[in-house]
Amino acid sequence: MELQINGRVMKADADPAMPLLWVLRDVLGMTGTKFGCGVAACGACTVRVDGQAVRSCVTPAGSVAGKQIQTIEGLGQPGRLHALQAAWIAEQVPQCGYCQSGMLMAAAALLEKKPRPTDADIDEAMTNICRCGTYQRVRAAIHRAAGTRPVAPTVRPAARPEKAA
Amino acid sequence: MKRRTLLLAGTGAAGTLIVGWSVLPERSRLGAPGLLAKVDGEVALNGWIKIAPDGMAVLAMPRSEMGQGVHTALAMLAAEELDLPLSSVRIEQAGFDGIYGNVAMFVGSLPFHPLEAQEGAKTARVRLGEWFVGKVARELGVNATGGSSSVADAWGPLRVAAATARACLMGAASLQWRLPLEDLKTRGGVVSHASGQSAGYGELAKFAAATPPGDVALKDRRDWRLIGQPAPRMDVPAKVDGTARFGMDVRLPGMVFASIRMCPMLGGSPGRVEPAPALALPGVRRVVQVPAYAGGTAGVAVVGDTWWQADRGAAALDIPWHQRPAGALDTRAIAQALRRTSAARDGFVFHERGALAQAELSAPVKVTAVYEAPYLAHAVLEPINCTARVADGRVEVWAPTQVPGLARAVAAQVARVPEDAVDVHVTYLGGGFGRRLEVDFVAQAVRIAMDCGGAPVQLIWPRAEDIRHDFYRPMHVAHMTATADAAGKPLSLRIDSAGDAITPRWIERTLPALASRVELPDKTAAEGLFDLPYAFPHQRMAHTATRMGVPVGFWRSVGHSHNAFFSECILDELAHALRKDPVVFRRELLAHAPRYLAVLELAALKSGWNERRVAGRAFGVALHESFGSIVAQVAQVSLEAGRPKVHGVVCAIDCGTVVNPGIVRQQMESSVVFGLSAALAGRLEIRGGAVQQSNYPDHPVVHLAQAPVVETWIVPSTRAPGGVGEPGVPPVAPAVANALFALTGVRHRALPLVAPSS
Repeated sequence: MELQINGRVMKADADPAMPLLWVLRDVLGMTGTKFGCGVAACGACTVRVDGQAVRSCVTPAGSVAGKQIQTIEGLGQPGRLHALQAAWIAEQVPQCGYCQSGMLMAAAALLEKKPRPTDADIDEAMTNICRCGTYQRVRAAIHRAAGTRPVAPTVRPAARPEKAA
Repeated sequence: MKRRTLLLAGTGAAGTLIVGWSVLPERSRLGAPGLLAKVDGEVALNGWIKIAPDGMAVLAMPRSEMGQGVHTALAMLAAEELDLPLSSVRIEQAGFDGIYGNVAMFVGSLPFHPLEAQEGAKTARVRLGEWFVGKVARELGVNATGGSSSVADAWGPLRVAAATARACLMGAASLQWRLPLEDLKTRGGVVSHASGQSAGYGELAKFAAATPPGDVALKDRRDWRLIGQPAPRMDVPAKVDGTARFGMDVRLPGMVFASIRMCPMLGGSPGRVEPAPALALPGVRRVVQVPAYAGGTAGVAVVGDTWWQADRGAAALDIPWHQRPAGALDTRAIAQALRRTSAARDGFVFHERGALAQAELSAPVKVTAVYEAPYLAHAVLEPINCTARVADGRVEVWAPTQVPGLARAVAAQVARVPEDAVDVHVTYLGGGFGRRLEVDFVAQAVRIAMDCGGAPVQLIWPRAEDIRHDFYRPMHVAHMTATADAAGKPLSLRIDSAGDAITPRWIERTLPALASRVELPDKTAAEGLFDLPYAFPHQRMAHTATRMGVPVGFWRSVGHSHNAFFSECILDELAHALRKDPVVFRRELLAHAPRYLAVLELAALKSGWNERRVAGRAFGVALHESFGSIVAQVAQVSLEAGRPKVHGVVCAIDCGTVVNPGIVRQQMESSVVFGLSAALAGRLEIRGGAVQQSNYPDHPVVHLAQAPVVETWIVPSTRAPGGVGEPGVPPVAPAVANALFALTGVRHRALPLVAPSS
């Protein structure tokens, strides 16, 4: 089958029933998209199909033939990071990093739909699991990339915001 | 190794041997240059540091990066002492020599009370114990990344190695230029003299390799340029563009993939399998029986051209499963057994003080409670996997492992080759948390590879297998009694807990040569109970190590993960019985422990503990020391639709000297979310021997929308570094439970805090 991935047409010799995740990883050797659960619960496999965030572990490859697929490998340009990737580095988001490809793709899909997301928008869109707990930095990085400012929640609502260590 | 093993075996029986060994000078961990991989143009100066022609330093990296930032932290230590910017240091995997073994982790496993083991004030017993275990650990040279110990372990040896390399480089310049050493300076990889003479490290390296270092001095902390700075992590850029290589991302020519099904009943085994249904499917190549290795459970693997095809093949098999001979495991029965055992109160006494029985008898204020914590899975996001190739009498393994040496050993055993015929390549780990201290999956991959005709095979466990074949955080039950006198002064604290010992089981399955017939008390089961800082005049903490049959292992913060819940909650119960504010109550018990007090006060201050509270929200506090660091957390909690909502957690930490405060903050944030997932919903059930949970939907973890804001405040310190990867986990459950009590008046004595919906 032919798949349009990151702006290129790629030929994949695979069963159309094979989930896109495994076509990417095992047939095309593109390992940036990750396997976490196989039941669309964790989001590590998130790619974008025609701009929408899609969990590729449950998406048969045949069902996305002819659509524009974007993976983490296609998020930035050669030599130029996407604003989200730059923000992810500035906020030092990743720890183990395994969930981050999926996080970034979900964030990219969010920003295209909502260029100035609120915290509630982020809560709703970012359902990817991070076992390392990078969530507050994911949120901060999305706001940084979008140029929005969160309503800074502090644990001391009565106090003036102070810079933590 | 054989001779030293004999020496160790002679311990106690041959006093002269022990004395002889003990007077040997402390074994250096500098290592010989020959230990490092020979790369054209690179010059090795010792067992840790090479200098490349362009002057970059190459650091041998023994520890595994699983998100805790160890690659950056250790590189910072080397860069500091080499007087190089961090960008001039790159890392490459270290080899298998004993100099790379983790000594600090083993010394940290000693059952000493932290108040007896404070830097500069250690008791003789502690000094002797640490010296002895330190020497043994140095001999064993086990390379393990765990126990929040990598920075503590590298603090001396790695800085010395880097400083020695710098001394050699300066010595070389001094000799070449015939100028006094003390007139030379280093900056940015260049050795220079006021007269204008200068040379880069790259030019000097060859000569430096032949120059003895002379006197080596570590930098004075006032001269630190890197240590203490929030340097950006070296691994982050590759983790935002998909290029970071995890275990599952290894790709090799001619590679095949394997999936597996293990007996759902822990410890059980497969019967005869008809392979045809799998082999009939496209892309499926073979079916391989996989025995139980390294504490795991036996199963059947299917090899295919792609993982999906292999996994469909595995799903197509009709495998008869046999229960383990000792019978089906059931967590309800285990819980009952632990309650009975804990109630018997006759475990090994880890700590005793005063005259407890008498004090308890006459105490006017008495709080008695039974606390429980369940089995927990690690649920690392990158499912268990390993890649192996067996060909021409050699084995090659690519693994996200926390124990490369133990991985090598088990690979050699399974393939029946000598250890030096095995190469192990360590990748990034998509989460470790202690799960990848195990080598069951390495053994499996090698076994499968032996049937693949020399082709490399990547074994990946489906998520359900990962959840169902873990080495779980053990279930524990504790009977506790806390008392106070008529004046409201705390009098006694008695804790009797029961739960499986972890370390002896881990040694049996990963280091069988060290397994002892004598079961020594396992500190990892009781840590966090017997080592409390509070000034109760009468104390008795005992633990009965059980062996329930469920595979148990190290789960982030280990014994502290449940024991802090027990101890910080019973303390809270006593405070409440005395109508005392929980922070004030703890303060009164910490007058003799200023470090603990400082951490508690910082958390109280920064959380606004004494300020006007927002309606509908309550604060809960917990203070706990683990892995050499002290953490206090204040959780701010409300109820939303009857379920706890944690709005924020303020963390204060004293982790000794801070190498990278950015990493410390990351680890506090990480620990809180990890601990919170467990506290709110973590629970594993076993029926008929089979784990009932299988994936994230029924083993819920905290998502972004539920994640609290975490603030981190660091107590400045000049002590040697303590750990930061795990110490933030133990206080979470008690802080939240204590907040829930303040909010609702309901005391939670069992985890998880939220009952699973039926």
